Amino acid sequence: MNDGFETRGIRRFLWEIGGFLKNALGNFFSPGFLCLFVPLLLLWEFLPRLDVIPESLLPRLSTVAAAFVDMLLRKQLPLHILYSLGRFFAAFGIAVALAVPLGLLMGWNLKIRAILLPLWQLLSPIPPPAWVPMTIIVFGIGTNMHIFLMFIGIFYPVLFNTYQGIKDTDPRFLASARVFGASELTLLRKVYFWHAFGSIIMSLKTGVSMGLVMLVIGEAYGGRMGIGYLLGQAKDYFLIPDMMVCMAVTGFIGWFLIEVLKYVEIKLAVWKVGR
Amino acid sequence: MIEARGIGKFFSVVNDKGLAEGLTAVLNVSLAIPDGRIVSLVGPSGCGKSTFLEILAGLQAPSDGEIRIDGKLVLEPLPSTRKEMEDYKRRYRFISPLANGVFRDRPKHDIAMIFQDYAVFPWMTARQNIVFALKLRSAGKRRSERPSRAEMAEKARFHLARVGLAGADNKYPSQLSGGMRQRLALARALAVEPKIILMDEPFAAVDALAREKLQDDLLRLWGETLESPRPVIIVMVTHDVPEAVYLSDEVIVFSPCPGTIRNRIPVDIPRPRARTGPASVELQERIYAMLEYDINQESEYSI
Repeated sequence: MNDGFETRGIRRFLWEIGGFLKNALGNFFSPGFLCLFVPLLLLWEFLPRLDVIPESLLPRLSTVAAAFVDMLLRKQLPLHILYSLGRFFAAFGIAVALAVPLGLLMGWNLKIRAILLPLWQLLSPIPPPAWVPMTIIVFGIGTNMHIFLMFIGIFYPVLFNTYQGIKDTDPRFLASARVFGASELTLLRKVYFWHAFGSIIMSLKTGVSMGLVMLVIGEAYGGRMGIGYLLGQAKDYFLIPDMMVCMAVTGFIGWFLIEVLKYVEIKLAVWKVGR
Repeated sequence: MIEARGIGKFFSVVNDKGLAEGLTAVLNVSLAIPDGRIVSLVGPSGCGKSTFLEILAGLQAPSDGEIRIDGKLVLEPLPSTRKEMEDYKRRYRFISPLANGVFRDRPKHDIAMIFQDYAVFPWMTARQNIVFALKLRSAGKRRSERPSRAEMAEKARFHLARVGLAGADNKYPSQLSGGMRQRLALARALAVEPKIILMDEPFAAVDALAREKLQDDLLRLWGETLESPRPVIIVMVTHDVPEAVYLSDEVIVFSPCPGTIRNRIPVDIPRPRARTGPASVELQERIYAMLEYDINQESEYSI
């Protein structure tokens, strides 16, 4: 596969990083997008500066940048980000570890589907933020509550998309493997999973965005650390630049995680790239 | 040797009025196919040929009758008494009777199957596709008898070269043309050294020139197995009457609704056959006449 490239060691790692950056950032440096983006940034800087929009409502780009540096150095922004990310990954891990196997089983077997699917159909329409009060009562305010709320946000999209992808596996693929003597486990590992791979990755992307929504909601309701907490504080003290920094940071985290998933998809689903 | 005795398949379907209705897809089909033969099933679409083929492969349970391959039943017979019915239901509570097992790969019969479009897995390279099949086929053997990874890769390379795909080992099916993909399917089917190859319209999606080449390759590869101790049976479903006449030892004409054998026509033309030789053309016309009778329900042809 990688005949011309390093296949191991630090150089291989750097090469992968380069590939990732090229994939992730490539869109931003296309001339078409820059023609739109640079004027937007200029407007952001100069509309408040020229008093077209009052600066108390829309701080300048440079003010926001200064606020960012200030938060980084003096308000422990990196620590808050780490806290939020730690909780996020815990919730994401638990949700994916439960939802993907459950989705596989539900898509694979009619009996299991008949038992489990109605449960999720009853529970999933409850909007995740509606879980907040109950969660606070049960788990108290703290890490457990944040993790549970994010789990609720991530679990259903991953479960349903995985299940759909598995269920839609073409029976002829299954038939041609069965004729060779494949057991159901082999079918799940080698046929169902890869057929559903696209929708599983898609579901993880939805999961990332839902998880971030619940991250901000959960942390805004209570806690001592985290991006959502910083955002809540900025609201209380009416620090618009700080709010914007928090928004940008959460947005960046979401963008970055989704780009990572995209890269994983490109790397693992090589067979799709040629199309 | 494949023996099918009184195979019937009934479905319940929903009719125009939204009511459940019985549909007989296959009715009372009995066949015996000796080793080393090519048999084609032709007939109008929707006449139960493909269903019959899937029943042969053990991918569908027949409602009636039984299939034996070298005397061994393909699927266990359906229950006939209440007691048997209860046992059957208990045994297959969570898993369908068609599955090979939950955890352990278990090749039941020496069959390979080739479908029109979905023959090979698009997420595996050409070599992985073949190795996948080889691994499954060796799963029943003792550990010491199983081929090593390198042996399987070598075998995959050999079979790819045999169908004219040398050098395509690491290509994904999406990088191959339609004809090459069917070649790959053929290589995978032959690599497991099956006794029976079942083909469901194998060359329908391929352009005419590639199809003729594929047919000749199929005949050549099949001919090579005739000298070996394990001559291969090929059962093929096709819409293409000239193809059926060119390839097979026997053409079986199905009539639609319910699908049953209208006629069996032995093809005694010695190989290599001329595609448009007088003998072939005459046979083709006879088969077309029968098919037309089924489609129009009127013809001068009578049995």
